[in-house]
Amino acid sequence: MRIISPPLEKETVAFTLPSMLGYEHIAMGGLAAFAKRLGFSPSRIEDLKTAVAEAYINAVQHGNKGKADARVIVAFNFKDGILGISVFDEGDGLKEEPKDPDIERILDDLDLPTGFGVFLIKRLMDKFEYRKSSGQLNEIRMSMNLRTP
Amino acid sequence: MQKQANEIKLEKHGDVTLLDIKGDVTSFSEPSLNSAYKDSSSSGAKKLLLRFQEDAYINSGGIALLIQILAQTKRNNQKIGVTGVSDHFKKVFHMVGITRFATIYPTQDEALKALSSAAV
Repeated sequence: MRIISPPLEKETVAFTLPSMLGYEHIAMGGLAAFAKRLGFSPSRIEDLKTAVAEAYINAVQHGNKGKADARVIVAFNFKDGILGISVFDEGDGLKEEPKDPDIERILDDLDLPTGFGVFLIKRLMDKFEYRKSSGQLNEIRMSMNLRTP
Repeated sequence: MQKQANEIKLEKHGDVTLLDIKGDVTSFSEPSLNSAYKDSSSSGAKKLLLRFQEDAYINSGGIALLIQILAQTKRNNQKIGVTGVSDHFKKVFHMVGITRFATIYPTQDEALKALSSAAV
């Protein structure tokens, strides 16, 4: 198996994880420990854990699409008061951003119950973007400012 | 990594059926959650209370499942409440709109009291 790695800065922490649901807990635990040392509040750490878990799940389900030998790379660093998180997969990337879920339409069977992961990332983090990165990796990038309450 | 199954116990408290959900709520919870809902509904339950563990991890797959349960309660004219949710997931439930269709109660006792006196 060939693991493609994105270029990482000196103090970036990175986990290379199997592309299987359940391993998001490793990313959540690592990010929580990192954010706690930086002084993020307990409630913001919970937001970070949910956001990184949803980005990981998105990478497994929609990026790597069940490819057994694919990997998910979760990387984070802290610079100028901003905690930046990137989640890489080997997929083609989102063609378009999913629309925000509308619970009333879902309850009336007009929409499928999807789109909650990206929706939560956007609501919980200060910034969110996705892009095709160098090499063959697709990236979800998000950040949170230490000073944001 | 091993998938963790949920253990869900059904308890009758007057006319309220309590679904006591142990463990994380994710897409892996689908069989146990759907089965518990079907069992409670087939015995005629009109008022349901979902009790989670405060330290449970709930992700987008679990949220989708809960919303599917809400859709069924709406179709079946059932009333539903939720308790045992951490402050973080109260915020998440509010963000996705779950709280517009299911009240989150601070304690099981308060939930049972409110649901018992509620009209269906």
